[in-house]
Amino acid sequence: MPLPERDEATRGGHLVMPGHANQRNGGGQVVGASAPSAPTGTGAARRSFGAGPLSRLSGARRQQLAGWLFLTPAIAYLLFAFALPIVYNVLLSFERDSLSTIGSINAPWAGFSNYHAMFNDPIAQSAIVHTLEFTVGSLVGQFTIGLSLALLFSNRFPGRTIARSLVIIPWLVPLIVTGVIFRFMFQQEGGAVNQVLIDVGLIHSPVDWIGSTSYALLTVTIANIWLGVPFFTLLLYSALQEVPAEVKEAAMIDGAGPWQRLRLVTIPIILPVIEITFILGFIFTVKVFDLVIGLTNGGPANATQLISTWSYALGFQQFNFGEAAALNNVLLVAALVCAPLYLLLSRDQLRRSTGAAV
Amino acid sequence: MSRRHKKTAVRWLSTLVAFAAVAIMLFPIYAIIVASFESTLTLFSSRFHFFPYHPTLANYQTVILGKQSGSSASVTTSGNQLGHVLTSLEIALATALLTLVISVPAAYALAKYRMRVTVLLIGALLLAQIVPSIVLATSLFAVLLKVGLVNTLPGVIIADGTYAVPFGILVLRAFLFSLPNEVMHSARVDGASEWQTFRMIVIPLARSAIITVAVFAFLAGWGDFIFALTTLNGASFEPITLGIYSFLGYYQANWGAVMAAGVVALVPAGVLLVIAQRYIATGLTAGAVKG
Repeated sequence: MPLPERDEATRGGHLVMPGHANQRNGGGQVVGASAPSAPTGTGAARRSFGAGPLSRLSGARRQQLAGWLFLTPAIAYLLFAFALPIVYNVLLSFERDSLSTIGSINAPWAGFSNYHAMFNDPIAQSAIVHTLEFTVGSLVGQFTIGLSLALLFSNRFPGRTIARSLVIIPWLVPLIVTGVIFRFMFQQEGGAVNQVLIDVGLIHSPVDWIGSTSYALLTVTIANIWLGVPFFTLLLYSALQEVPAEVKEAAMIDGAGPWQRLRLVTIPIILPVIEITFILGFIFTVKVFDLVIGLTNGGPANATQLISTWSYALGFQQFNFGEAAALNNVLLVAALVCAPLYLLLSRDQLRRSTGAAV
Repeated sequence: MSRRHKKTAVRWLSTLVAFAAVAIMLFPIYAIIVASFESTLTLFSSRFHFFPYHPTLANYQTVILGKQSGSSASVTTSGNQLGHVLTSLEIALATALLTLVISVPAAYALAKYRMRVTVLLIGALLLAQIVPSIVLATSLFAVLLKVGLVNTLPGVIIADGTYAVPFGILVLRAFLFSLPNEVMHSARVDGASEWQTFRMIVIPLARSAIITVAVFAFLAGWGDFIFALTTLNGASFEPITLGIYSFLGYYQANWGAVMAAGVVALVPAGVLLVIAQRYIATGLTAGAVKG
């Protein structure tokens, strides 16, 4: 669950645009905090708060100790549940592992043979391509629909609050259930989708959305778009609330039409949020797993096999943990491609990270 | 048409379009609810019925009581999902608890103590959110196997925490950061220890952010499939998400039961949406992406 940078995460309910947050803080209280190593200013002022030289020293010690104690569970957890598995995953990818050796570290060394096998595995190759197509298709669909809905909800109209809160619902459905629902709706015989398309005359005979290799990936992508629209809508909607009305009015007075206002005024202003939304959407989409398992289970004939689902099949069904780990590392690298950009856009979180000494 | 009339017309048109869009967005959920009340025979007919055709509770009987209503009684596995619901509740509550125990104090330290590790840890937390669950699942399975936690509740709960802990710390930290330092300072002046300040001042003030994080951790634990699938592959118990997956396999032909189990899995999300909608909306804008 990645997190875009925000001021006061839970207070205002409005996403703060990265570019604006600085200006906002700039005038105010956290100047000292946003310059980590600044030795002067507020830092010095704070230090003089202490009662006397002696109690000040012990107080600082005490606070350091308390800080570390507060952090200990988190650090232990991060090491056990993130660092250790990631390191172990690298190790696994160079080992010849089976179900009997997976629990020990002493599996036979395999060199690069897992990577060699993986890159020569036609299913793994196609899984990488599918993941790419699935991700691009999902993001384009989610953004287009999400922005349209966000613009729609920005108008004042009766019932918009209810409509806006109803849009969140798809996001709350467990992913495996979403997969099952779409499997039901897209089935060839008796599926709601085919029936509606036939009734309005768009198609003449039922399409095999799930069983045909040419449509299955499209079906999975549509399901994922459905899943991601609430997230895109909500984030873009929050951003649109931050666009000053005067700017839009000024553009209108200058004779800009709705499309021009959107393209030349609104989008440039909310661009920082669009960027972070795309990055979060990307991070989320490359790791989709449950949805595909519930909807197609990777089939037919591996047509919807993604990196994540094929890695699962390799590891937990064929017990080829070495090749699974190698494929996992490809996925990890793919996911981390956007990490620099993500950290850059989250820089306010990092910049304000010296905390305010108490 | 006067200008004002035109404006009113546009507003009502917006309402119409918006609710049409919402109807399309919610249709899949409507479809599964309707289908859960249909007999499997109806579901296999070539037409989809937009309204209950022959409403029946048979699917819920299969799901909740484990009764077989169909004629294909050759299935030996118990279809009882009630146990699954309880397992899911345990996992979800424990995930929420684990997340809070880890993230509230850590967020406080990262927000209000001057420490060298702060930048490093926040960077690590941001990166941790990027790591795909399947990457963790494969090697967590190996690690949990080594420490004897595969096929146990603690094992799957530790794994499920990976969805919510980084998110929880970052959301709570952003919230605590905005608390004025004077509050804690005056507590200290009054002689409160660090722990007392944290427990009696900070936690009550952060209540709303804590609820947001708890709701999200709960939903992450409830909806988790991948860690249940990988760490509970031989357990005597399984959460409802895994139950649905097994249902798909065992009862390939019993769509009705699968649909009813799916609806049961939607219940807590629906309940939370009603009682904690404010926190869900905040958390979602705070960037909660599950997976």
